[in-house]
Amino acid sequence: MVSPGTELIRRMATGDRDALAPFYDLYAPLAFGLLRRMLRDVDEAAEVLQEVFWELWRAAGEYDPRRGSPEAWVTVRARSRGIDRVRSVRRREEMLVAPLGETAAATSETGGNPVEDRELAQGFLRELPAEQREVIALAYLKGMTQSEIAARLGLPLGTVKTRMRLGMERLRGMAGSRT
Amino acid sequence: MSPAHEPFDELVAGHVLGALEGEDASRFAAHLAGGCAACERAVIDYQEALARAAAAVREAPPARVRHALLRRVGEAPARRARVGRALAWTASMALAAGIAAVVSGSWVRARLDQLAGEAAGLRAELAAQVQTVSELRRKLDEQEKTLTLVKAQAAEQERTLALLGDPETRLVSLAGLAPRPQAQGRIIWNARAGGLLVAADLPPPPAGKVYELWAIAGGQPLPAGLFTVDAEGKASLTVAPLAGVATVDVFAVTLEPAGGVQSPTGAMYLASKKA
Repeated sequence: MVSPGTELIRRMATGDRDALAPFYDLYAPLAFGLLRRMLRDVDEAAEVLQEVFWELWRAAGEYDPRRGSPEAWVTVRARSRGIDRVRSVRRREEMLVAPLGETAAATSETGGNPVEDRELAQGFLRELPAEQREVIALAYLKGMTQSEIAARLGLPLGTVKTRMRLGMERLRGMAGSRT
Repeated sequence: MSPAHEPFDELVAGHVLGALEGEDASRFAAHLAGGCAACERAVIDYQEALARAAAAVREAPPARVRHALLRRVGEAPARRARVGRALAWTASMALAAGIAAVVSGSWVRARLDQLAGEAAGLRAELAAQVQTVSELRRKLDEQEKTLTLVKAQAAEQERTLALLGDPETRLVSLAGLAPRPQAQGRIIWNARAGGLLVAADLPPPPAGKVYELWAIAGGQPLPAGLFTVDAEGKASLTVAPLAGVATVDVFAVTLEPAGGVQSPTGAMYLASKKA
């Protein structure tokens, strides 16, 4: 049976504008919750949200239900556009903050300490042990690579890779355990 | 899972999180491109897992985003689904939902009707484009005509300049006479090369009439050309050299029946003083 979301995407693919509003109402909170955890500024998150749904509207014809649920389709795109914005915010802040020196730079978007990062995740991945949540959140929400995370947390690269894999496996294992 | 595949189990998590770099990234990309079903499955499963994690922290966005989005989509030109893409979609839906169920369903018929509608739309658009092309062709023709005109004007100006450079060239003024005292004219005249008449402030000739230029030599008026005036009362006329005439005493302009005459019959509008 075709899910309501899939049916809306099918209608969007044919250019049916009436399908967009219900599609947005269904999935915007999903994308926005994620974007809020990627970007501190609510206006930035709102701006990116509009871009994401504009893109989804235009790319509806590319959606392939065999490649994942509408939720995953929306989430992948939101995360991708969100990371683009995280990086541009970071470049902007580095340009502004760099002259103030290391201390100031450490509090920029990617800076701060792990405690702050956990706060930034705001309940996201709360089912995971903190050490797995930390590496996944830094990659997924902040766009950091494995070696950047290793350097940041003072961990061996192998440890970061292992924690990521264990965290993702645990997340996958939770399939169906909550809505 | 074979031990040889083990490194990829670790890479797939980093890949989905967008955290791979350098050799790891290229190695995993090559592995995926090679068509590893297990990794493809894992990528999809991990993406679903992250979507579920995101669903647990849903947040209502500001209402203005919805308004702005719907306005933007409403204002954008209507988008036609590309037929090929729509067909691909239909095909993948068919696989997902089970081919037998779909073939017997009315859904495919509805979809085909929709595609037929889209094809009609494309035909209409094609017709519109053909229209546009013929419109562009017409404009091009017009521009070519203008270009020819401009070239003719340039040639005339070049001729005028050459004429002015010749020491035998004379500049003759023509004064307005009784019917139109404010009218005036000038002729650049060269017996060998001919000349150019310019006139201003002449009234438009009545229907069936035309202005005729006369070169009077030895008391004999010779027809030297016909002309009319533009909306501003201006005229210009290229005058051919007159065979066997070395010296023109007087130039004059009269109003004559259309087609011109061999000796003047109508009122005289312009005349030069006797040289």
